[in-house]
Amino acid sequence: MSHAAQIALLALFAPLLQGIVSRLRARMQGRPGASVWQPYRDLQKLWGKDAVIPQRSMFVLVAPGVALGVAVTFVSIVPGIAATDAQAWRFDAVALALLLALGRFVTVLAALDTRSAFEGMAAGREIAFASLTEAPLILALLGSAFLSDGSLVHAPNGIWIDALAAGALLLVMLSETARIPVDNQQTHYELTMIHEGLVLEYSGWQLAMLRYAAYLRQSAFFVLAALLMPGSGVATLGWMAVVGASIVLIETAYAKLRLFEVPQLFASALILSLASIGLRIVDVLR
Amino acid sequence: MAPVRISAFVLLLAAAVAALLPVAFPFHCALVPAVAGALLRIDLGSSVPAAPFLIINAVVSIAVAIWGLKRGSPPDGMRLALFSAAMTGVLLAQSIVAFLLFWEGMSLVSAFLVATNHGKRYVRRAVFSYALVSQLGALSITAFLAILAVHAGTGAFAGIALASGTLPTGVRIAALSLAALGFGSKAGLVPLQFWLPRAHPAAPANASAMLSGIMLKLAVYGLLLACFVLAAPAPWAIGLALLLAGAASALLGGLYATIESDIKRLLAFSSIENVGIIVATLGLAVLAAAMQQPALAALAIVAALFHSVNHAMFKGLLFLGAGTLVERLHVTNLDQLGGLAKGALRRSALWMLLACMAASALPPLNGFASEWLVFNGFIHALAVGSPWFKALALFGIAALATTGGLAAAAFVKLYGVGFLGEPRHPAPVEPEPFDASVAALALLGAASVAIGMIPSVVLRPLSQLAGGMMGEAPLPVPNLSVLPFLALLPVAGAVFAVVTANRRGVREAGTWTCGSVVTLRSQYTATVLSKPLRLIFGFALFPQRERRTEYGTSRWIPTRITYVLSTRYVFDELARNIAAFVQRVSRGARRFQGGFLRVYLGYALAAFLAALAVAR
Repeated sequence: MSHAAQIALLALFAPLLQGIVSRLRARMQGRPGASVWQPYRDLQKLWGKDAVIPQRSMFVLVAPGVALGVAVTFVSIVPGIAATDAQAWRFDAVALALLLALGRFVTVLAALDTRSAFEGMAAGREIAFASLTEAPLILALLGSAFLSDGSLVHAPNGIWIDALAAGALLLVMLSETARIPVDNQQTHYELTMIHEGLVLEYSGWQLAMLRYAAYLRQSAFFVLAALLMPGSGVATLGWMAVVGASIVLIETAYAKLRLFEVPQLFASALILSLASIGLRIVDVLR
Repeated sequence: MAPVRISAFVLLLAAAVAALLPVAFPFHCALVPAVAGALLRIDLGSSVPAAPFLIINAVVSIAVAIWGLKRGSPPDGMRLALFSAAMTGVLLAQSIVAFLLFWEGMSLVSAFLVATNHGKRYVRRAVFSYALVSQLGALSITAFLAILAVHAGTGAFAGIALASGTLPTGVRIAALSLAALGFGSKAGLVPLQFWLPRAHPAAPANASAMLSGIMLKLAVYGLLLACFVLAAPAPWAIGLALLLAGAASALLGGLYATIESDIKRLLAFSSIENVGIIVATLGLAVLAAAMQQPALAALAIVAALFHSVNHAMFKGLLFLGAGTLVERLHVTNLDQLGGLAKGALRRSALWMLLACMAASALPPLNGFASEWLVFNGFIHALAVGSPWFKALALFGIAALATTGGLAAAAFVKLYGVGFLGEPRHPAPVEPEPFDASVAALALLGAASVAIGMIPSVVLRPLSQLAGGMMGEAPLPVPNLSVLPFLALLPVAGAVFAVVTANRRGVREAGTWTCGSVVTLRSQYTATVLSKPLRLIFGFALFPQRERRTEYGTSRWIPTRITYVLSTRYVFDELARNIAAFVQRVSRGARRFQGGFLRVYLGYALAAFLAALAVAR
């Protein structure tokens, strides 16, 4: 499968992924849940509606576009899942982290430009958590990529070392995709929201762009987390299913953490990612 | 325009040209006094490692000169020209005497610059702590150079560099530790950083731009000179010390910057953070050279130099912008600002935004390119050397990543609270016109964008320089030229969003706050925006909140509630405790200096007898 095909498929099915995860979670919680195609309907409905904004300021207008551009770039720099270890891919964890920071910078500025205290609250939490997730994000991806000049080489003797890095990335992903225990996609309670809070003022087609960007980011994170595990092609698809299942399990089994306990989650992610690289350093010596 | 303003401009411009000339036309001249021989020679000449710093000096000086055409006080401009010339002198010095003369001249002029508003008490205190630290630093640097000169038997840098290979290890470590102390204090490394956030708010903004943009880089130049030329090869212990001190400075500087509400102090803490990153990278270079990895060491040197150049550009811009702000509104506290992009700083806002993005290391600006290169140095280090070296590189990556997140938080706060939303400042000012001060910002901003888009312009000469110093070309970084394209789709998306908004139309309906009226007080301030970070990092910041409630006629209805928020600066407290201890000891020592001639004669006699006893 060529890389362009993967980008197209991810762009096409990113909302479906969200639909499947939501449906699974609903089933897990004993509800029938909405159809897996619901995100497409939401996007279609929102795209058809007019947008209402607080005032015509540059940042408020620009932010949905920047978020979408960042998400598309993210999806297109994610390595191909069909590549084997022999066709080692190159991946730049630092550039990815700074690219995501660009999207966040503009979104947070747009939120602060609305003058609303709700957006300010979400902005403060977003920048605080982002400064804590950057290190585990970079290190989890480096864990697999540092050995031969940025190309992916799985640890020769064990799935566990890969699993540590993938686990760290999963924890970061929970925060980046606004999931329990960091955030909750289901509620719209202004005092607890982080990601939804940032875009509270958006509606209509602008919100559709932001939603679609979030779906794209989520699907790219799915692929990255699955790629950290051994195997390629079908095996990676299998790992993507495992990532989805773990998210559903976590969202069902846990409640939202208290805000100031979330940093402990990120500390665990940092420790997992450090452990994964540390074990590989020892492993290489042997 | 007043002639004094124009003459200040011309002087500073001349200083900038004087800094550029040795890069364009290499020269060398020496003044050897007849009496004192080799040790006291005054030697000036263009050297390879100094070239990037000379260019930094020239570019920032030109921007400051242009800014001074419109703003700032002209007498400051004269002093700034002297300051710039002294720094050029430091960079041209090729012998110990020349270096120390210019170094002390630079410290002296900068102390005068900090003391510009000496009527205020906090300014005098800032000058005192700055002078204290820079004298301590100069003392260490003098000792460091003296040790080398005695070993080499000459005061010329060329001779010292030739003799550096035969330095005994113990002497080498002692000398380089003194150098690290001296230059590190000038660079504002933890734990000697306390003067920096005091000196910057005290100094006028154009002086801050040069202090932070250029002078801190001269400390980096000093470290580079010490570790890779004068006392090369530096042992791994020095590299380790630099790496740890740099990482600690980066983390603490970033942390304090995120919780700071005063714009100039925020920028000062951010300077500590960036210099920390640069010094940590130099530490990596020293370690890599000690591990026999010259290509990696060269890459780390390139990264450190590249970040030095970029930091000078965007930080000079930010300080000049802060100067415009001070002159127009006389407020530097972000909590009292807001909406600057709408009027008060209408023309400067775009350039300040670009500089904030560069300081947050966002693509496609220059800060992104150099931060990426720094990361790359550490990532390459993961693949070579002993496990300890790798573990250090791992620690470096974790520290750098966290620092990057904190810096982004600090600058999103600076721009989001200061420039966006509604103005909190009551005094109306007329909208900012386009004038010389905006042109100065635009110059540095355009340089930041250009370097970010085409990093190879700067990287190629820097690679040659580092390759020449290490004897091997730096590890290649093929990706860097395509990385600016990461910003292509986000920019296209932004254009698309604006075009769609114009085509489909958007309705303005005010901000939604659960139906209540939107007031200025609902707008987030800098202090409250950084509250989550202050609480999360409470273990290092020790935030304290004090609530005072005043009651009027009824004890149930408070008339006024005030909150006082404070943060402890542990390293400042440490420095203050050390200073108090030194004062106590010296007060105790006064007992031995009673001022009686008899006692002093007794001391002299005792010393004479002791000398006799030793020499017998």
